[in-house]
Amino acid sequence: MYRGREGQWAFVLHRLSGVALALFLLLHVIDISLVMFGPEGPFNAFLAFYHQWPFRVGLVLVMAAVVYHAFNGLRIILMDFTEWGVKYQGALWYGALGATTAVGIPVLWKIVPEILGIA
Amino acid sequence: MDATTPAAGTSAPPPGLDTMNVTVKIKRYDPEKDARAYWAEYRLDVRPTDRVLDVLNQIKWEMDGSLSYRRSCAHGVCGSDAMLINGVNRLACKLLVRDLGSSIAVEPIRGLEVVKDLIVDMEPFFDSYKSVLPYFVNDDPEPARERLQSPEDREIFDESTKCILCAACTTSCPVFWTNGNYVGPAAIVNAHRFIFDSRDQATDERLAALNQPSGLWRCRTAYNCTEACPRDIPITKQIEEVKRALLWRQA
Repeated sequence: MYRGREGQWAFVLHRLSGVALALFLLLHVIDISLVMFGPEGPFNAFLAFYHQWPFRVGLVLVMAAVVYHAFNGLRIILMDFTEWGVKYQGALWYGALGATTAVGIPVLWKIVPEILGIA
Repeated sequence: MDATTPAAGTSAPPPGLDTMNVTVKIKRYDPEKDARAYWAEYRLDVRPTDRVLDVLNQIKWEMDGSLSYRRSCAHGVCGSDAMLINGVNRLACKLLVRDLGSSIAVEPIRGLEVVKDLIVDMEPFFDSYKSVLPYFVNDDPEPARERLQSPEDREIFDESTKCILCAACTTSCPVFWTNGNYVGPAAIVNAHRFIFDSRDQATDERLAALNQPSGLWRCRTAYNCTEACPRDIPITKQIEEVKRALLWRQA
């Protein structure tokens, strides 16, 4: 493992979250498209399948990936267009992580009770 | 032979100076003998103020003469001894043992084919360097004296003149590890050197050379190059400057 610093881990997380979101989107398009087979088709069965708790945990990860990818994307825009963004890229990454966590709290508030089956 | 070769012997400490015992792991590979690379381990006494290059020399000269690595000036100018030391790319001649502690791991730089031990084939690296026309181009008639430039204009590319082509930056780049065709930070720094030189006339050719599928745009701003540079060149900053130059020229 190369001992890179903030920039390397920002890149790795950005790439991982991006690939994960692309795959998730593909899956999402496929399962939503099943609705075209009508009420007797496989759509409802899939919907019930996705409502099991492991997929709720996955939902938390999807949200984290979306929010991180968005905030780090803003960091990348700042770096690409301003000298300032490059100079403070490390601090901006911690900012992106902090913002992801801040948005994540209400997500957890909503989803954790559903995972535990108390909502 | 075992995967980790035990120390063949320890050398006498230099007189009158504090020494410390260090364990040096070196990733070794001899294409004529080894199917794959392996970690060899050496234990020896060195001075805390020794550089990693001194440690390698001590191993080669006193313990195992078959160890191979490049070095020339040994003072951070020639750029021969870039290595992956304790997880980061550094020049072996600019890194002191006291800053590493008693456990040192040395590998060849990544992304280039290993020729033997710590020696890699630098040709793909130099091919990328050559692709950006890393020399001054100006076909106007030469003035009677030098081509003048204001200190302000000289300052713009001052830091990119410092490159010693050691490849520490390019071989620290995650994009280069997975795509060996990527032109790499070192070539972009050397393009920057002339693109922002007010006297130069080949900016279009250089930007065209960089505007290729494996060119400038493969940079994902991981900043490993900037951290690795032994000359403290703000590499990522310069790559972003070249990206903007190309972007605004296209717009």
